[in-house]
Amino acid sequence: MSDVKSEFIHLLANYGHIGFTFVGSILVGMGGGILLDQKVFDGRTAPWFTFIGLAFGIAAGYKTLLEIIWRNNKTEKKSDNED
Amino acid sequence: MEHPILFISIILEKLGLPVPHGPVGHTFLEQLCAPYMTYTWFVMAFLYFVSKLTLGSLEMVPGKGQNFWELVIGGMDDFFVSNMGRDLTDKFFPMIATFALYIVIANLIGLIPGFMSPTSSLNTTLALTLIVWLSHHFIGIREHGLRYYKHFMGPIWWLVPLLLPIEIISNFARLISLSIRLFGNIMAKETLLAILFMLAGAFFAPLPIMILGVLVSVVQAMVFVLLTVVYFSQAQEHAH
Repeated sequence: MSDVKSEFIHLLANYGHIGFTFVGSILVGMGGGILLDQKVFDGRTAPWFTFIGLAFGIAAGYKTLLEIIWRNNKTEKKSDNED
Repeated sequence: MEHPILFISIILEKLGLPVPHGPVGHTFLEQLCAPYMTYTWFVMAFLYFVSKLTLGSLEMVPGKGQNFWELVIGGMDDFFVSNMGRDLTDKFFPMIATFALYIVIANLIGLIPGFMSPTSSLNTTLALTLIVWLSHHFIGIREHGLRYYKHFMGPIWWLVPLLLPIEIISNFARLISLSIRLFGNIMAKETLLAILFMLAGAFFAPLPIMILGVLVSVVQAMVFVLLTVVYFSQAQEHAH
């Protein structure tokens, strides 16, 4: 595979799933919070776990975002050193 | 949204088998005859027979068919080795390469009238994603043993209560992002093609979308495979 094409796919795979992962994190966090509120504690603690889950979900979204950026910076530095 | 005409479903209906008209069937036989299932069987049969016909007997001096497969398999092998190392590639090459070929063919047959992409159903993509997700945890546990939990603990001990839920949530988000992306892209392509075909099929309106569809199909398959490879190599490397 040519270098340009493989770089294109790398970029697409790395940055193309930022949006989905962000939304996915928030959905998973908030879904977990709602599950805890409604099923485990039978709505007695509502809405607290929903909000806590939402906060953790947003934090997880930002964490994956930062991880993607850090990982790419590392690989770019490595390839710069190799050149 | 389904294609207007699915020829396997029509054949099955003529044979007297129950083909569900909604998204899912109720009985076991109806579920087996759902379009995404029958077209999955079709893709499997296609891959099996095409590779059987072109690779009847392996020879030292490759002919046309063998040359093609050597190019495909060799290219994928190089790609995996450069991303996750020789060891993991040797162990998981059959699985990931099968996924790659299956997803490419499954995406592309949706462009032919009368066929649908099995990957435009969430069931198919979720099944693929679950296999990938479970096997990347399997790799991690086999590589690190019980110390695999350190992957979810973050770098500093007093941040653990904050980072543990975040890591677990972002790990589960992989399930959603990997499956929904493939499903969403392919379903969008199928739906757009069907709508354009109904609106202005006589004026070749779907043609530009079909060209884009080829690109989307191949790129989405490659992205799925690349992310699989990245997850596998992340599970194998040491925690922070």
